[in-house]
Amino acid sequence: MATLPIIVQILVGGLGIGGLYALVALGYSLLYRAMGLVNFAHGSIYMIGTYFGMIFYMGMVGGLNLPYGLCFVLGVLLTGILGIILERVFRPLADLDLMLMLLGTIGVGVVIDNLAIFIWGAQGFAVPRPLGGKPLKIAGVAIQPQMILILLVSAVLMVALNVFLKRSRIGKGMRAAAQDREIAAAMGIPVNLTNALTFAIGSGLAAAAGILAAPIVYVSPAMGGGVGVKGFAAAILGGMGSIPGAIVGGLLIGVLEGYSSAFISSEYTPAILYAVMVAVLMIKPSGIVGETTVEKV
Amino acid sequence: MKIQTNRRNLLLTAGLIALIAAPFLTTNNYQLYILNILGIYILLNIGLNISIGYCGQINLAVAALWGFGAYVSTLLTVDLGINFWIALPLSGLITAVLGGLIGLPSLKVRSHYLAIVTIALAGIINMVLVNEREITRGAIGIMHIPSPKIFGFEIASEFHYYYFILVMTIIGYLFARFIIDHRIGRNFIAVRDDYVAAQAMGVNTAYYQILAFAISGLYAGIAGSLYAHKINYVSPDIFGFHSMMLILTMTLIGGSGNINGSVIGAALVILNESLREFEDLQLVLYGTAVVLIVLFFPEGLVGLFDRIRQWLANRRKKIPVSEGTP
Amino acid sequence: MKFGGLTAVDGINLQLKRGSIHGLIGPNGSGKTTTFNMISGYYKPTSGQILFEGEKISGKPTFKITRLGFARTFQNLRLFHSMSVLDNILVSMEHLARLKLPELMFNPFSVRREENSFIEKGRQILELMQILKYENEPATSLPYGLQRRVELARALATEPQILLLDEPAAGLSTTEADTLMDIIFQIREQGVTIFLVEHHMRVVMNVCEQITVLDHGRKIAEGDPQTVSSDEKVIEAYLGQEKEMEKC
Repeated sequence: MATLPIIVQILVGGLGIGGLYALVALGYSLLYRAMGLVNFAHGSIYMIGTYFGMIFYMGMVGGLNLPYGLCFVLGVLLTGILGIILERVFRPLADLDLMLMLLGTIGVGVVIDNLAIFIWGAQGFAVPRPLGGKPLKIAGVAIQPQMILILLVSAVLMVALNVFLKRSRIGKGMRAAAQDREIAAAMGIPVNLTNALTFAIGSGLAAAAGILAAPIVYVSPAMGGGVGVKGFAAAILGGMGSIPGAIVGGLLIGVLEGYSSAFISSEYTPAILYAVMVAVLMIKPSGIVGETTVEKV
Repeated sequence: MKIQTNRRNLLLTAGLIALIAAPFLTTNNYQLYILNILGIYILLNIGLNISIGYCGQINLAVAALWGFGAYVSTLLTVDLGINFWIALPLSGLITAVLGGLIGLPSLKVRSHYLAIVTIALAGIINMVLVNEREITRGAIGIMHIPSPKIFGFEIASEFHYYYFILVMTIIGYLFARFIIDHRIGRNFIAVRDDYVAAQAMGVNTAYYQILAFAISGLYAGIAGSLYAHKINYVSPDIFGFHSMMLILTMTLIGGSGNINGSVIGAALVILNESLREFEDLQLVLYGTAVVLIVLFFPEGLVGLFDRIRQWLANRRKKIPVSEGTP
Repeated sequence: MKFGGLTAVDGINLQLKRGSIHGLIGPNGSGKTTTFNMISGYYKPTSGQILFEGEKISGKPTFKITRLGFARTFQNLRLFHSMSVLDNILVSMEHLARLKLPELMFNPFSVRREENSFIEKGRQILELMQILKYENEPATSLPYGLQRRVELARALATEPQILLLDEPAAGLSTTEADTLMDIIFQIREQGVTIFLVEHHMRVVMNVCEQITVLDHGRKIAEGDPQTVSSDEKVIEAYLGQEKEMEKC
């Protein structure tokens, strides 16, 4: 059944989902670069970001039914603000031993998850597709319009992030602070501010991913678990802390997932993803794009 | 010195009596059930602690290993008709081997990379348990697992199982103590503190890393067998990531790097879980409590007790003047 | 030895005489540490090899090299911070240990016996280093000079044939350096060959019988302290560096 259109279709779908994973992975890597923090609450941020956007789309806030695009912007902004608040909470966690950091960030995740359940219930809801359900035929391949939207928007966001980090003053400051906190601070860069900004951007990207995904997955307080783990795996696969690495890792996992589900076994797909990731790390312990450093004696 | 040893012996005897008498002090079966579950979690925690706390090897596959051990024991007794008393140590050993295999990546990756690798490997184990329905009956699980029999007497009730688990837990604790206090434990700590220096001193760090993983597998396997034959049912979702996080929480809250911490941590969390029904707000409080403890008591409760003891000891005697360079 | 595109050390030919005290000196960046790390097995040479008694050891895992009779100290002091002084020393007994895993896990009697013999030996070494009274202190709680001695004791505890010292005199006061030199002589009395990398000229000149001088990754001189200290190339290499520092 492996006809070319089908292969391409799966590729497109994989890239789309992969793009979402990449956005989530970027959050992990950005934060790790800036603060040395591995944020196991990121999946929960993805989830709550989706809620922040979708409650306006679904008329859950005072009966308001805002257009999808506006909800997207609102959701991302609100999550960004949440990120700034969370940075304050996470700051002391960054200096801790990894296991404690894990536990602390998971604790925050638990809080966020259960607040969501408390406010909106554990049930969750389905989101209608803003662009309709009719697939478009492009070059003989059938693609859902939402998927095209995902591909476009995630690409735009990734490019925008790159430009921001490389060209803008704030972006450069963030990169400097990520490289060496002390020197950056000595040069007058407000490290706490850049960290807060990094957290805001990382969280915003996760929200964007979630809102883009909402029409094709089921929105519920539990939606962050799987994506959180896959995003983390993507970031590690590409090399924790590496921006291009996160993108490569995310896309790779998305595509692998697609092909594996279609041609090997959809039940074992997560296992296959895991196995691939472990294999890659065995060969290149610092990830695909990540740098290797020689430990000095 | 003599006074101290006498006081210690007194405490130990008192503790032992309390443990033996405990079932008679409980008012219902549920409390006994909690105590039994506690025993199993203590074993899991000791295993995890040896790997993470003492040897510094991050092993987030312990919950999956627990499940693996449970299934091995189940299949040995249910499908192959093997006697429980052989299945128990056998599950321990087989799971130890799997644990050691899971430890192989630790020779190449560290820290959060190792964390995700062990999570991934745990995920694979879980998926095998779910999908290999021919063998494992999949997500439905396996029911009617026989309770252990000794000389024809069936250890089925919570009351009887309590003493069984008590003995196993004490053995598990003493065994861990023995390992930790001597050469193996010392080498574990050396690997954790500085594996480069350890190698320079002639320690085969790879060997000890794998051993640490294997030992955590051993404990997980035994705990799995005890669990399966106690509740007479297994299914894959008992042993998932949330379980792992629970065990990790217990170890860290009790105090990583100290097996007394494993006992305390398990006790605290289990008691906490048993006293409440799971409502969302209470989980919020639970999460908040975890964060606060991580921030303010990173050494865990054992660390806290140590600090208090130090403080008391310093008050009693004069603090010695630190010596300069001779 | 090459790192990426950079050649740190090129074409060094070094021979250690058994029972001697041999020093390796050179201005900063001359490749001393790299050479040292190659000998101790931390780096695998990109070309060439290291032989011990005719047997090739370059490329072997560090712990195996230690078991063959090489011990080293670290310039940056890598003591095991969770352990007492005595325990630090006991770790080094590892390669002398004879008990295998099953016994280690299940036979408390042999374990205790082995441990006691180790503790005996360990205490003897601590005695030699004059730090026995600190045996139960956490190793990293001691003042710097004493920590250095623990580091040395730890290396000695592996009962080496060759002791590699990485800047043993760094950060020591004059009195401490004197004690160090005494200790080095005492160690040599026990038949251990000593190889050290050092900046501290007084120690080097007083203690070493043979000195090799490196500059820019190459050997530029070798001989006894007298010869080396009057060698023109050596003086130039060091002066050259002084001149460069004056420019800053």
